[in-house]
Amino acid sequence: MKLLLIEDEKALATSIQNYFQRENFICEWASDYESAIEKINIYKYDCVLVDIMLPDGDGLNAVRELKRKNPETGIIIISAKNSLDDRIEGLNLGSDDYLTKPFHLSELNARVQAVIRRRNFQGNQQIRFGKINIEPQEHFVAVEGQEIILTRKEYDLLIYLIANKNRVLTKESIAEHLWGDDADLMDNFDFIYTHIKNLRKKLMDKGCPDYLRSIYGVGYKFSEQ
Amino acid sequence: MRLLLRILRYQLVTSMIVLFLGAGLFYVSVRYLIDREANKELFQSQVKVRWQLRHLDTLPVYILQLGDSLQLQPVQYPGRPFMRETSMLNLAENEYQPYRQLVFYERSLGQWYKITISKMLLQRQRLLETVVMTITFIVALLLVSLLLLNSWLSERLWKPFYKTLGKLDQYQIQQHETLEFKKEETLEFDQLNLAVTQLTERIAAAYQNLKEFTENASHEIQTPLAVILSKIEGLFQDETLTESQLVTLSSVSEAANRLGRLNQALLLLTKIENRQFLAGTDPVNLVPIINGKLQDLEDLIVQRKISIQTDMESVGLVIHPALAEILVNNLLTNAIRHNVENGKIIITLRERFFSVKNTGKMLNLNPEQLFERFRKESTVSASLGLGLALVKTICEVNGQNLKYEIDHEWHTLTVSW
Repeated sequence: MKLLLIEDEKALATSIQNYFQRENFICEWASDYESAIEKINIYKYDCVLVDIMLPDGDGLNAVRELKRKNPETGIIIISAKNSLDDRIEGLNLGSDDYLTKPFHLSELNARVQAVIRRRNFQGNQQIRFGKINIEPQEHFVAVEGQEIILTRKEYDLLIYLIANKNRVLTKESIAEHLWGDDADLMDNFDFIYTHIKNLRKKLMDKGCPDYLRSIYGVGYKFSEQ
Repeated sequence: MRLLLRILRYQLVTSMIVLFLGAGLFYVSVRYLIDREANKELFQSQVKVRWQLRHLDTLPVYILQLGDSLQLQPVQYPGRPFMRETSMLNLAENEYQPYRQLVFYERSLGQWYKITISKMLLQRQRLLETVVMTITFIVALLLVSLLLLNSWLSERLWKPFYKTLGKLDQYQIQQHETLEFKKEETLEFDQLNLAVTQLTERIAAAYQNLKEFTENASHEIQTPLAVILSKIEGLFQDETLTESQLVTLSSVSEAANRLGRLNQALLLLTKIENRQFLAGTDPVNLVPIINGKLQDLEDLIVQRKISIQTDMESVGLVIHPALAEILVNNLLTNAIRHNVENGKIIITLRERFFSVKNTGKMLNLNPEQLFERFRKESTVSASLGLGLALVKTICEVNGQNLKYEIDHEWHTLTVSW
């Protein structure tokens, strides 16, 4: 998978690049509008991450250019602006998602994977992890062929965990993924614990090994080891 | 009390006092003059009577003026002469009329007589009344006309002042407007208006600067925060970190997250205050928004065993749809957050109001204070203390009314429009 990151903040760009490299993505970086347009015109990407506030041009123009040149590329706008108008304009231009700074890299990762899934396989690509099999289109989850009924939150949690497998996920990032802006409602993270517990129980009841490991003081890690 | 009314009241009181005192004084002095005149005449009559009695046999009888009467009464011993006022029946007019009598004793031909000279006072009294009434009436008329003139004049002259006052009253800082006035004839009011114009200009500029600063600063903070968070997340993946390092990192991450949310909320507050979300003309139906939010918050509701009771009509208020979402969201999350275990929430939506009532702890704060930014019930909660400030601002900007009532364990927040 090939990503293009259009972002003028070097430190943030490095973090994002490192994150996706671990995911075995090729993540290229353009630090300004000019080089971004250049790269868009030369190469083909699966997904482009665009910061719409660039020092030498409006990132929205890059989105327009991209839509014209290569309509099947997935686009996620990352921006410090979160006004409704910006969101609507960005989405209207054909971007697939809009993420406001500051965000969790794990969240960005989950969204990138969702966009790529939607774009490349019309959502039909199966997600496999160990004994777990998911058909995103149908919201169907099975362990070794046996269906598991999950609530919406449990399903979202599972997808998120798999998208960020082998990584430490903080409780905050999980809370924000599941509840969005209401995440600050969690005076404590008991809610996450409840969902994690239920999800783990449902998986293990069908004979799935326990993939979830809690990391003291931080959060959780979903991995096969 | 209105300025002009106060002036009028003082003037009225002073006029009344002057009128009554003046009339009284006038009455007393005129009466004194008339009395003195009457007494003088009585004494003159006394002299005449005395003289006549001494020369009874030699002179023709001619003593008194018309309307006066003379009584002679033989007595054994003389007494002290005195003067008195009395009413006597006037046979000609058949009514009692006031008289002044001078009683004295005189000896004539070896016999003592008690002599009473009565003088009719009616005409004098009438004169007195007429004069006092007329003068009082004239003075009263003068005072009343002065008062009327004064109040009319004040009303006219103070008009620019009230116009300025009215404009200041309507002044809303959020609209970034400067107050302009027409030129006035009165110098002082002209100066006042000029001062007000300059003041509002400065206020508008300062307010604008502040807003811009807040918005820019908030924007600029987002990117470094994103860097911090991404670096922390990178560090979390480092498996060589010890447990205690991870815990420290976790608290750094938590703080950064919190800062990010705070920043977003402040930015939103500033935008709302800047009227960047203008209401349309049609009301936004709140029912689907409320139901959607309740669904989103289901986890929390179930976890805290809160029971929800809704009583909704399919109505809403005129507001920007995004603000309606925030309004509903903040009121509901507030009701959940500050609820007690096994608590209740009652949501009522009617033609003119939307209220969220929840069980909760007793409060030490004045409920209105919870609308202030960063005012929290407790320091333990993870809340930013901006939720109700946001609701308040939304209501203010859109002309709705927000009220917080506490009745024992019940907390009610009502938005009315």
